[in-house]
Amino acid sequence: MSDVIPKSAVTGCDSSGGFNPKIVMFCCNWCSYAGADGAGVSRFQQPANVRVVRVMCSSRVDPVHIYTAFLEGADAVLMTGCHIGDCHYVNGNDKTLVKYKFVKTMLNEMGLEDGRLTLRWISASEGQQFAEFVTEMVEQVKALGPSPLRKEGVV
Amino acid sequence: MSAPENMAPGNPASGNHAPGNPAPEGAAPAGKPPEKKPPAPSAVGEVLTASGISVGGKYIGWSVCDTVRKEGGSGGLVTAVLAGALEKGLVKHVVVLKKSSQYEAVPVLTSDVDDVYASAGSMHMLISNPTKYLRQFQNDAAIALAVKPCDMRGIREQQKRNMIDGDKIFTIGLNCGGTMMPYKIRKVTEEVYGVNPADVRAEEIEKGKLILETTDGEHHSQSIDELEEEDNGRRENCRYCAVKIAMNSDLACGNWGVMPDYAGKGTFVEVMTEKGAEFLRNAIEGGYAEVKEASEAATEARGKVNGIMLKMSAKTKEEIFVPMQSKTLIDFKKELENCIGCGACRTVCPPCACGNEAKCTAFDDPADSYDISLFHMVRFLHLMDSCVGCGQCSDVCPVDIPLARLYRKFANPIQDELNYVTGMDDRTPPFFEIKLEEVQ
Ligand SMILES: Cc1cc2nc3c(=O)[nH]c(=O)nc-3n(C[C@H](O)[C@H](O)[C@H](O)COP(=O)(O)OP(=O)(O)OC[C@H]3O[C@@H](n4cnc5c(N)ncnc54)[C@H](O)[C@@H]3O)c2cc1C
Ligand code: SF4
Ligand code: SF4
Ligand code: SF4
Ligand code: FES
Repeated sequence: MSDVIPKSAVTGCDSSGGFNPKIVMFCCNWCSYAGADGAGVSRFQQPANVRVVRVMCSSRVDPVHIYTAFLEGADAVLMTGCHIGDCHYVNGNDKTLVKYKFVKTMLNEMGLEDGRLTLRWISASEGQQFAEFVTEMVEQVKALGPSPLRKEGVV
Repeated sequence: MSAPENMAPGNPASGNHAPGNPAPEGAAPAGKPPEKKPPAPSAVGEVLTASGISVGGKYIGWSVCDTVRKEGGSGGLVTAVLAGALEKGLVKHVVVLKKSSQYEAVPVLTSDVDDVYASAGSMHMLISNPTKYLRQFQNDAAIALAVKPCDMRGIREQQKRNMIDGDKIFTIGLNCGGTMMPYKIRKVTEEVYGVNPADVRAEEIEKGKLILETTDGEHHSQSIDELEEEDNGRRENCRYCAVKIAMNSDLACGNWGVMPDYAGKGTFVEVMTEKGAEFLRNAIEGGYAEVKEASEAATEARGKVNGIMLKMSAKTKEEIFVPMQSKTLIDFKKELENCIGCGACRTVCPPCACGNEAKCTAFDDPADSYDISLFHMVRFLHLMDSCVGCGQCSDVCPVDIPLARLYRKFANPIQDELNYVTGMDDRTPPFFEIKLEEVQ
């Protein structure tokens, strides 16, 4: 998977004209990205709406990244990392929790629906959980429709 | 103790600054000697010596100089302590207000004690917060200044971020019922009071009324509640401000709790820190100020008025923010659509600790033409745990975006949930307060 999403590869609708959400997913190098690998290697099926951005640790994800994703047209953002206690940088994911709480509260207060930002811990061995999580989120965002933060005209 | 000077004839004794709330019963009529009267006395015992001052102590104090006592907002104690600190070398500089009219003043750094005396008195239309001004002198010698609660909260937040050296700052907190927009009061001076603003010689808030004194000695008064109906009274953020007594400063001063016997001639002062005690002792030893122990009735009255004010703030907060709950993202886009990106809101924001290099500006590119700029998104987030609700952002915005209300909308839920009152103590800002989760 590529870290950069070419805009040309992104469309708002599927061939049948239904809403096809774009989801940006941040995975940490040591756990959730390995989980994604695991899902692929084990051939668990999952929808292709997710664009994974690999970061060294979930705490590398700054609120600016999340906001940029939304402002550039993402319908949802998923933050993932190692389970608490397993972070390879000792307490990176504890920091992620704080950031998540702030960003989440802010976006909710702004009127962005709750289901558009989700945090989940996924370990390197949880390939199946990874695929299930992605499937679940795509369904959820499909039900919500396009993000109100997506600029008009952006596909 | 010398007999206190009476205020200018007809000038009402300063009772209570709180608009629309009860003053202690029976204010002393101007012109009568302020001898002890049946309603409880403000102070008990004799004038104290410096050794009588201790941290946590509550006193009634005043300037020994009759002119200062008369010119001061409430007895001139603050001016006396500042002058004493400067002349006795406890500080090198003082930040005072340089008035250009009753409506405008700018903070200036001075070592001239005459400037300190010239700035005695309360300015209810001075809205500027000195935090960012002060920051320029952070590494200089010790500085003293008088602060409103929101000023001090801004200073504290900068201290936490190592941008102001707390050891070099001495602050005298002033109770604050709210400040008013100068240009609005100028407008109502003409339109509602029917007075030429150039003729206004003094202003005073008493028992919920804003009183303007003109050069001909006349007093013109209007109810602040009524002014506020047209949004011409205190600024909106002051109407829901959650801190009215600057308990975060070194000395907390104000006229709440001052009974009729000292109305306009004494200030209630609570010593908050060891440094505060040192400065007050210095003013007493140097012959600048006199203090007496505050009576229990005075302390109680002060607490009571504060309680009433905080309740009113809480009510206004609900009136403003509960309806905002139903705002949608479209509403936010609309509110912000006129922003010209001048950055003034950030420049004045007291707790904002960044300099030229800042996240809110570094990633903000107007060419992105997002519906809500990254500048605002980042600032909304950063201010969630640090906004002190001073209202400066709204005040300076050239396109009149009600920014303080927007920032508070995001700050309220986090600050309420975490029980965090910004700038009141040394607690680490919650965004940096990492709690390690229990691992099983
Ligand atoms: C805007 C405002 C609202 C107030 N509201 C209340 C109230 O509701 N209840 C209450 O008990 N007390 C209130 N006070 C405090 C009270 O008016 C007196 O300032 C206080 O009792 C000290 O009196 P003093 O005579 O010792 O001060 P002074 O000797 O007159 O010294 C006052 C000092 O404060 C400075 N100052 C004046 N205006 C401002 C300002 N706007 N911002 C920053 N510094 C300023 C002056 O430069 C001076 O150095 C308020 C003060 C202000 C400035
Ligand atoms: S925000 Fe609070 S402390 Fe600041 S001027 Fe208004 S009422 Fe006073
Ligand atoms: S965001 Fe506005 S109200 Fe809050 S501290 Fe900054 S300038 Fe004051
Ligand atoms: S002061 Fe107003 S116009 Fe200037 S950047 Fe802030 S919101 Fe935009
Ligand atoms: S390395 Fe995975 S969360 Fe820190």
